[in-house]
Amino acid sequence: MPLLVKARSFLRNLFFIRRVDADLDREVHSHLEMLIEEKMRAGMAAAEARRAARIELGGVEQVKEQVRDSRTGAFLDSLVQDFRFAIRSLRRTAGLTAFVVITLALGIGMTSATFSMVDALIFRPYPVPHPSNVVSLAGTTHDSKIEDFSYREYLDIRDNTKSYDGVIACADMQAVGYSAEADVTPRIKGGMMVSGNFFRVLGVEPRLGRGFRPDEDQVPGRDAVVVLGPDFWRHEFAGDASVVGKTIRLNGTPFTVIGVAPDEFPGLLVFGHPDLYMPLAMARVFSTDIGKNFFEDRDDRELNVKARLKADANLQDARNELALLAKGFERDYPNLTRSRGAAVYTQFQTRTTEDQNWKFGVVFVILALAVLLVACTNVAGLLLSRARERAREIAVRLALGAGRLRLIRLLLTESLILATLGGLAGIAIGYGVIEWFHSKDTIIFATELPVAVPFQMDKRVLLLCVGLSVLSAFLCGLAPALQSTRVDLVNALKSADVEVPGRKRLWGRNMLVVAQVAMSLMLLTASFLMARGFQHDLMVGTGFTKDHLLMTSFDPRLIQYNATQTQQFYKLLAERMRETPGVQSEALTQNIPMGTDDFDGLTFVPDGFTMPPDRANFASTMDTIDEGYFATLGIPILRGRAFLTTDTADAPRVAIVNAHFAKHYWPGGDAVGKHIRLDNSAGVPVEIVGVAQTIKYQTMSDPIDFVYMPLAQRPVARMVLILRSSGDPLQLLQPVKDAVRSVDPNLPLLHTQVYEEYYLNQAVRGPEIAIDLVGTMGAVGLFLAIAGLYGLVAYNVSRRTHEIGIRMALGAVSSDVLRLVMGKGFVLVGIGTGMGLVMGFALEQLMNSMLFNSGGVDVVAYLIVVPSLFLVAMLAAYVPARRACRIAPTQALRYE
Amino acid sequence: MSPEQTSLLQGTLDLLILKSLRAGEMHGLGISRRVEQITGGTFVVKPGSLFPALHRMEEEGWITAFWGESENNRRAKYYRLSKAGLKQLEAETKRWSRISLAIGQALEAS
Repeated sequence: MPLLVKARSFLRNLFFIRRVDADLDREVHSHLEMLIEEKMRAGMAAAEARRAARIELGGVEQVKEQVRDSRTGAFLDSLVQDFRFAIRSLRRTAGLTAFVVITLALGIGMTSATFSMVDALIFRPYPVPHPSNVVSLAGTTHDSKIEDFSYREYLDIRDNTKSYDGVIACADMQAVGYSAEADVTPRIKGGMMVSGNFFRVLGVEPRLGRGFRPDEDQVPGRDAVVVLGPDFWRHEFAGDASVVGKTIRLNGTPFTVIGVAPDEFPGLLVFGHPDLYMPLAMARVFSTDIGKNFFEDRDDRELNVKARLKADANLQDARNELALLAKGFERDYPNLTRSRGAAVYTQFQTRTTEDQNWKFGVVFVILALAVLLVACTNVAGLLLSRARERAREIAVRLALGAGRLRLIRLLLTESLILATLGGLAGIAIGYGVIEWFHSKDTIIFATELPVAVPFQMDKRVLLLCVGLSVLSAFLCGLAPALQSTRVDLVNALKSADVEVPGRKRLWGRNMLVVAQVAMSLMLLTASFLMARGFQHDLMVGTGFTKDHLLMTSFDPRLIQYNATQTQQFYKLLAERMRETPGVQSEALTQNIPMGTDDFDGLTFVPDGFTMPPDRANFASTMDTIDEGYFATLGIPILRGRAFLTTDTADAPRVAIVNAHFAKHYWPGGDAVGKHIRLDNSAGVPVEIVGVAQTIKYQTMSDPIDFVYMPLAQRPVARMVLILRSSGDPLQLLQPVKDAVRSVDPNLPLLHTQVYEEYYLNQAVRGPEIAIDLVGTMGAVGLFLAIAGLYGLVAYNVSRRTHEIGIRMALGAVSSDVLRLVMGKGFVLVGIGTGMGLVMGFALEQLMNSMLFNSGGVDVVAYLIVVPSLFLVAMLAAYVPARRACRIAPTQALRYE
Repeated sequence: MSPEQTSLLQGTLDLLILKSLRAGEMHGLGISRRVEQITGGTFVVKPGSLFPALHRMEEEGWITAFWGESENNRRAKYYRLSKAGLKQLEAETKRWSRISLAIGQALEAS
């Protein structure tokens, strides 16, 4: 039973190590004595015999150490020893340890928090089995790489492709009026129309009931069934299992609950977690575009198509197949599908194409990594100087028979402990930052739909933290460990100061100074740039008035109004509001400026334009408004007129464009009186009757083309009412409620609030969060860099106390010495600044191209940052140099 | 002392120690001298290799240790072959014969 014997010795080595060691000591000593006796018997003199025996033995302690290394569990034993020793020596320098841990924690915490953003936005796989097989199928046009498909197109793709195990379609998540019973006022929930095979193809098993049957998605309007989202089920039905089979009302239509999606499947969206899934066949209840027939019109493109690639299919074949199909669409329906292609995207490609917010995340990660790198150089610098101070101790250990590897392991254990502590604290900081993000949920998403910040400290992020900790342990610890164990023993033991000022060593430390300066400069440049970029946008302003406005939204579909009733309601509502005391003016708009929802797109051909052969039309963003819009929002009409009550459904169609649009298509000419044709050159002509001043529409970025159409000529179901008040806008709240009640008491007011408040949340506080984040990183980076820089420079100078003493003894005056050491600091910071400027400039270019487009170099940032870094470095060199000059040469020469 | 400083092959030291102990219990120095003797002075076992090997083999259960009196009435640690050690010696001997036969054949082949 060799295993038992081994286990016994292992336990003995672990618990009775003292006895085992004493035994070993006696054994080796008795061996030595016997050796001596043997030599003496052979005729040697006592002293000589003793010497010969010692040479043969090779050192009592060394032999004992070799035996210890061969013992069972020796590795564990020495590891425990290393660990204990490391803890002891770290505790001796508690202040330094705390500084190092905090430094690393900041770096790791920042990186993990920002990585969680990028992870959520790009990398996190779909919450379905085999997520990497799920690809997105998208249309492409001249203006966009990712476009939705229409229902007809989806059917053709589903039925005519061979690369997939199933092709699914889903519409965007939309506001759905939900009520448990008929006579209750509906509340807004997030609903998503999906194809009948949605759950089956994704491999999602409902936790209760069933998914859709294939036949439930065949006949438009027949099968009113709904699958509930897990969160919705828990909140609305308290997790009641008997919910399956119940009837609920969605937009006024009764639906039967057939199942509940599992917790593991919160949906395919990054931000939203749908409350309800309805079959596409029920589109009439939810359709957004009144003017189009969802089931028939090939250009009613509302569907996001995804598919599960067959195990043996390859992506390139799938792409070719879909491209061929898109060519077929273009051939068969030239008017509706001109110059539209199609593409297959992986999850990564989809996420990086459809939304550009991930770029902020990437910039944040780059900045956070820079903070971590600064932290690592700090720690490396500190460990290096500590290692040098311990050089004698290490030399003694080496002389006493400690192996070099063993010593390196000991030193690495130290930095590993530091990094582990730093990593743990970093995870705590990361949690804190992510919690902080979550606390801003309602600011980031001012909407009634179920959306949330998806950043979380999950397995993947934790893994990154662990990886970063270990990596930083090696980064910080390896160089000092290697260097301090490679000493010349004789020299080290002889001299008080082990340091041989070899070029290579100084070079290492100088590199750290340079890297510190460069990194912190880059960080500061970036944070300055971002803060100033946002400030610039806010200063420029939006171009319309935001005060004294009350907004509230309506969706008459929630109570089953048809198109005529809806328009009648809006007409009546506008009239009532104009009569209400305290209301200066009233406006209806499909979307408010700087709001959460996207504006509609418009495709058109300016009359008289010859389109290039490969292009059917141009695209612009647009809004549907009523006559009161421009006056209420204070947007000046530069030429022509605003909409009038005479622009009715029967009157000739009219539109108003913004100045940017007018200048874009009729540079130098007058846009008023010109026509655009909708969709293509054979489309309906619309006369441009006015040019409005260009404002900010959705983001603070550059001006865009924009077209306004009158509500009477382009009916829309969901509209926002904006009221200008003479006093406090909230005083209008009750009058509005009364007015709506007088028209229809069942219609809910959605999202009622003071516009200025909404705007602040939407356009100002969101960016402020980003500025806070970047500013914090910049400040942390600068703080760490200054601390590290000061430490490194001051240490470098204090190491030269001895040398300075010699110089002074030989007749140098203090100004010579000061010039010497400060000159060196100056050169190092200079090189670092040069590198930092290059890196900062590169980052600035990257950020400009990705985020701002404002262009230009931010000179002010450099004017503030560069001199302050120089100042710190000079101060760090000056203080110890001054001290070195003051002490008497005799003292300096004795100084260790 | 001028024997060839032939470095021991991996595993050979164990075999030599086991073989030495076959003759009876011995202390460390005795084993060392015995190995020198039976290999005709080709192998010299230094304490730096001997003691780790002894302790390792003790932990494997091949040999057992006890304190006894040396020939000069000095307390010394003695080692003795165990049953498992005897088995190990037989196995190692067989293995070694096989290897040396094979190497011999290999070297004779042209």
